[in-house]
Amino acid sequence: MTKRFLAIPIAAAFLLAACGGGATGVSPTATGATFPAPPAATLTGAGATFPYPFYSAAFYAFNQKWNQVKVNYQSIGSGGGIKALTQKTVDFGASDVPLNPKETTDIGGADAVVQIPVILGTESLAYNLDGIQTGALKLTPDLIAGIFLGTIKKWNDPALVAKNSGLNLPNSAITPVHRSDGSGTTYIFTDYLSTVSADWKAKVGKGKSVSWPAVGQGAKGNEGVATTVKQTPGAIGYVELAYVMQTQMSQASLQNADGIFVIPSPEGATAAAKSRTTVTPTDFSIVNAPGKDSAPITGYSWAMMYKDQPDKDKGTALTDLFYWLISDEGQQYGVDLHYAKLPADIVKANIATLKTVSFQGKGLLALPT
Amino acid sequence: MSVQTSSVVTAPPFLEKGRRRWFDGDRIFQGLASGAAIAIFVIAAIFLVALIIPAWPSVTRFGLSFLVNREWNPVNSHFGALPFLYGTVVVSLIAMVIAFPIGLGAALVLAQPTRYGFIRAPLSFGVELLAGIPSVVIGLWALFILVPVMRQVVEPFLAHTLGFLPFFQGTPSGASFLTAGVVLAIMVLPILVALSRDVIIAVPAELREASVALGATKAETIWQVVLPYARVGITGAVLLALGRAIGETIAVTMVIGNRPEITASLFSPGYTLPSVLANEFAEAVGPLYQGALLELGLVLVLITIAVNVLARLLIWSFRRTEPVAT
Repeated sequence: MTKRFLAIPIAAAFLLAACGGGATGVSPTATGATFPAPPAATLTGAGATFPYPFYSAAFYAFNQKWNQVKVNYQSIGSGGGIKALTQKTVDFGASDVPLNPKETTDIGGADAVVQIPVILGTESLAYNLDGIQTGALKLTPDLIAGIFLGTIKKWNDPALVAKNSGLNLPNSAITPVHRSDGSGTTYIFTDYLSTVSADWKAKVGKGKSVSWPAVGQGAKGNEGVATTVKQTPGAIGYVELAYVMQTQMSQASLQNADGIFVIPSPEGATAAAKSRTTVTPTDFSIVNAPGKDSAPITGYSWAMMYKDQPDKDKGTALTDLFYWLISDEGQQYGVDLHYAKLPADIVKANIATLKTVSFQGKGLLALPT
Repeated sequence: MSVQTSSVVTAPPFLEKGRRRWFDGDRIFQGLASGAAIAIFVIAAIFLVALIIPAWPSVTRFGLSFLVNREWNPVNSHFGALPFLYGTVVVSLIAMVIAFPIGLGAALVLAQPTRYGFIRAPLSFGVELLAGIPSVVIGLWALFILVPVMRQVVEPFLAHTLGFLPFFQGTPSGASFLTAGVVLAIMVLPILVALSRDVIIAVPAELREASVALGATKAETIWQVVLPYARVGITGAVLLALGRAIGETIAVTMVIGNRPEITASLFSPGYTLPSVLANEFAEAVGPLYQGALLELGLVLVLITIAVNVLARLLIWSFRRTEPVAT
């Protein structure tokens, strides 16, 4: 009974965490970036729901530091954010997947926008099995693909038992839970499965919304999947790590590309990200990354803005905001919420990219002294 | 000297023929009322146009096969509405089958003279309370309370007793057509009860008394006199309730399992038209994907129109054989 009702505070926990970090004890510090104070501006952004808790906490802190900059972010979904940016109704957009070719053409070509990864997240496979502790269940890529394709139907399937000989797996059906709404989380998960399973790639493919094999159920939002898994014995679903940590669900150990079983963690995400020193908007996948600590189902979340800013003050405030967001101080707000920090190489590349944002040809980013 | 009093009423000066001004109260009122009626029509037309225009790429691409295709695949852009149509119809039917007898019974208790009249006040209050609960709250309640109960108690019980029917076969899953139907029944109950009660109250007492005077029992009176008299109104109530059931989004999305499936088993997860729209619209990118989703919205509107037409026909057939009112 208690387990089921533990799921109720999920939304509340996230609301609290998002409201400036009251529940996690974050306080904006005065040390850190010493760039000149940004000009007064009100910035609006829209897009993905995955980074919303991070943005919410970080933007609030930014406003506490520099009262003259107000940032308003609406988590209406990656598609909505991109549409809004294309129609120039917001100053920046956020998406878990950078612009695809069609979106790039609509927005004015690859040179019209600047896209930078701003935070790192990793996914867990949470399950509901009595008596099996978190991390005890070991899943290889083939097992995960089999479960979600429906070829592995029961928990005591020989393939599962072979890898989990020490466990008492029950003779009950597996209920795989996926996301019913289109999301970057699904994109990263299906990207991973397409990379590790040719069967999956042929039958389902990758995308923010896919045609899932006819097994299990769909639930809306990370919180929906988490609730469904918590309530349904024998269920297994993919959720962002943050949800697993906040609700203390059991998650599986995943075998990474090096063959080592790791429990997904922010450190694992950073290790996976380190495997690629550069990512571009057209080549950004870091799933199944090499490295002994790498968490296999990992991905960036991106922000995008126009390279040629129409307003000097807004443009300066915007570049300052994102410079601060990718700095150690800004990233700390993400770390507190179980996201992972960007690796140093990516931060450097981002700064170089941000420097190209200009107003009437002149770069806007005033670097710290 | 006699004072001549005219028996003809003369109009006030500003309304004299030939001197009609624009500020004729009647004309103004007629204008405003017609304007309001036309405005409703215009709004409905704008809705339809706003749906058809973005849906056009999908309509031209798939044509009528959209209604019979079973695959919904955003990755390779094959879209078909059949699983969602099936889900909407099944879930609404379950809701009406459950809610209609309960709603009618409650309405009869509320409207008829009865020995158990003391139940009227709490029943009324309960119904109004139910009507006031927002759908998302009912959805949350259903997700946390109803789904486990359905999965652990109700569905196994039905499988055990009525398992010979194809509807009650298959593994019990908490999130299913059946659960969504039950949730919808709870949501449409207040509408059914309130409207049916008003209609039944309007049945003239003389008819009831005449029936009883002729020796009919209470049940016979209700079945053969009261209900036939009220059937037009009750049809209207059922229609409104059905309209609500077809369009309900959030509560259904939370408990239906979101799997596009066409199966006789009511224990299986399913998917409805409003659910898929709510789930996928935010992240849908590209004119074909968005067009397909909006085409689903168009299909939903067409279903509602079809239900309305059906109800009109039903009412028309009732009126032809209506019992003669005194």
